[in-house]
Amino acid sequence: MNSLSKYGFRSALLTSLLAALPAWAQNCETKIGVLGPLSGGAAAWGLAMKGGVEFAAAQSNEAGGVQIGNRKCKVTVLNYDTKYTADGAAAGANFLAGENVKLIIGPVGSPEATGVKPVANRNGQLTFNSSFAKDAIGTQFPNAFHQLAGPSAWSPALVKAAKERFKITSVVVVAPNDQGGTDVASVNADSYKAQAIKTTEEYYQRGTTNFAPIVTRIMNLKPDAVDTASSPPGDAGTMVKQLLEAGFTGIIGRLGGPGTPEIIKAAGGVEKIKGFYWLELVATEDPAVKSMLVDYQKVMKVPAPDNTLLYTAAAATRMVLKAITAAGTDADATKVAAALRGLPAEDPYLGKGVWAGKASFGLAQELVFPVGMGLVADGKHLGVSRLDLSGTK
Amino acid sequence: MESFVSTGVIGLSLGTQYALLSLGFTLIFGILGVINFSHGGFYVLGGYVAYSFSHLAGVPFAIAVLLAALACAVLGYFVELLLVERHVNDHLTTMMITLGLYLIMTTGTLVVFGPEPAEFPFPVSGSFRAGGFFVPYSNLIVLGVCMLVIAVVYLLMYKTRFGIALRAMADDREVAIAQGLRPAQMFPMAFALATGLAGLTGALVTPILALEPHVGESVLAKSFMVVILGGLGSIGGATIAAFIVGIVEAYSSVYLGGSKGALTLFILVLAILVVRPNGLMGSEARKA
Repeated sequence: MNSLSKYGFRSALLTSLLAALPAWAQNCETKIGVLGPLSGGAAAWGLAMKGGVEFAAAQSNEAGGVQIGNRKCKVTVLNYDTKYTADGAAAGANFLAGENVKLIIGPVGSPEATGVKPVANRNGQLTFNSSFAKDAIGTQFPNAFHQLAGPSAWSPALVKAAKERFKITSVVVVAPNDQGGTDVASVNADSYKAQAIKTTEEYYQRGTTNFAPIVTRIMNLKPDAVDTASSPPGDAGTMVKQLLEAGFTGIIGRLGGPGTPEIIKAAGGVEKIKGFYWLELVATEDPAVKSMLVDYQKVMKVPAPDNTLLYTAAAATRMVLKAITAAGTDADATKVAAALRGLPAEDPYLGKGVWAGKASFGLAQELVFPVGMGLVADGKHLGVSRLDLSGTK
Repeated sequence: MESFVSTGVIGLSLGTQYALLSLGFTLIFGILGVINFSHGGFYVLGGYVAYSFSHLAGVPFAIAVLLAALACAVLGYFVELLLVERHVNDHLTTMMITLGLYLIMTTGTLVVFGPEPAEFPFPVSGSFRAGGFFVPYSNLIVLGVCMLVIAVVYLLMYKTRFGIALRAMADDREVAIAQGLRPAQMFPMAFALATGLAGLTGALVTPILALEPHVGESVLAKSFMVVILGGLGSIGGATIAAFIVGIVEAYSSVYLGGSKGALTLFILVLAILVVRPNGLMGSEARKA
């Protein structure tokens, strides 16, 4: 009797302890992978993407975790530094496969996307990249998704607005001479030409650290504007610094991956910039979008990374988590992909979007939300205007 | 015409930077027979030490640069003494040691300073202009300092007993030892001189370019190319090759574009190596 009561006491203690634990701790764990450059000139992109995924995961965990069937699972995030290379991204996909991660947010750029697609396909992984490559996703890789609109969706409208604002008659579009650079720069160049702007495309070897010769070449052309397109933020910052030292007094453009803070820093502050126009991947001045920064600080206890890939990565993660719930599994990327295709494109911060990509890639797996156009003129920040892309096919 | 002159100045500036880096690289190979894969790491470290002193501790930039060179020299001295010395005749082992050291240095800076480029501007801004000709003051200062340091290295190597002893070790180690020179004393000093030069270059150059943990990789690649072109172990060869590379890089990039410029440079290096497989001033085989 004595031993029985002791047994009963222990059982009660164990039951009450288990009840005190969060619901997900009793059940399972869902792993989400992040692939992106976490060091080097493109680190700002990778770190923002990582931050977005970790934030979405932390929010999900605060709410008890992701629902899979009748279980609530804790979301954990594993990341891998791709160093913005194809082989780094492929190695990262294999590393994540080794950790049994089937769902990946990323990679960030075109070289990585090219490297990761066949490997992830072979590993049975879903990817959600942010590359601006013309073949960022495609019908041969049905589990590859795209977390933002490509240049053909926003470039014509932004170029038109930039021309109207700054009366640009000539431009040099400068980018690295690989797919990560040429795929964006060539689309931008077509947009400038369509606006009857004299356009020169200038490509440099990726890994260049001293842009003095390129800057001299640009200065010889005497352009009204220089668009740094999709040059990594570190490269763009160095280039702008050297352009200004060389006496460039024209307009700076940035119609590519986020790199605004680096360019403003290199210029010595907004007040020293004559003119600057850039793409924001989201409409950063929408109140709902702004509120994400507040929530990020609240949940993560640190300020949010100053890079808009944060938003698109967080939105992609939330969509994947919803798809896991709809599919009832996190182990079968094909089922999750099928569920994802059936979900409406919406996000608590970014609002209503559309699934686009049919026209560009042959499949509607591009998650498109409104983007923004930032402007600085005569040393004054003129804000970010919203550009609706709901008509993107 | 102005652009032609500006490009020439850029080429000279690049040449002096490559010369400083390559001198250290070739000194270590010539004297110790070690291919130092951590050379780019000392360049990065020099940049971060100067950044820490000038931006975090408020030390004047010029003193921060000297302290960076000194810190890299001291670290290089102990690296040679403690890690390289006992394996100095084993090429494969020393390659692995220096490669491992580079990875440790890169990861160390990544952990301490973070992955994003540091905000480390050169203290002097603006450009010298005359008509269409321009050259940033920062480039002129770096050019001047690099030329001065190259001259000092030459004086050290050719006009002092220490330099003569180092060159004797490089020429024929056995004979030099027989003459009473002690490798255990000379090698750490040579290593310190080389890493100090790499640190000095990093401290001077990263403020006008970019400072981030992985920037040493491209620096190592460029140094390698210059040293191979000049002839492994040849101080004069490395200096000449550095200026050839700098000037060809500048003119080909300005007049042919970034992609074709890089291609031209590599084709030229390849052509020279076909004609002179041991480099411009390299000997057939390293004696020491």
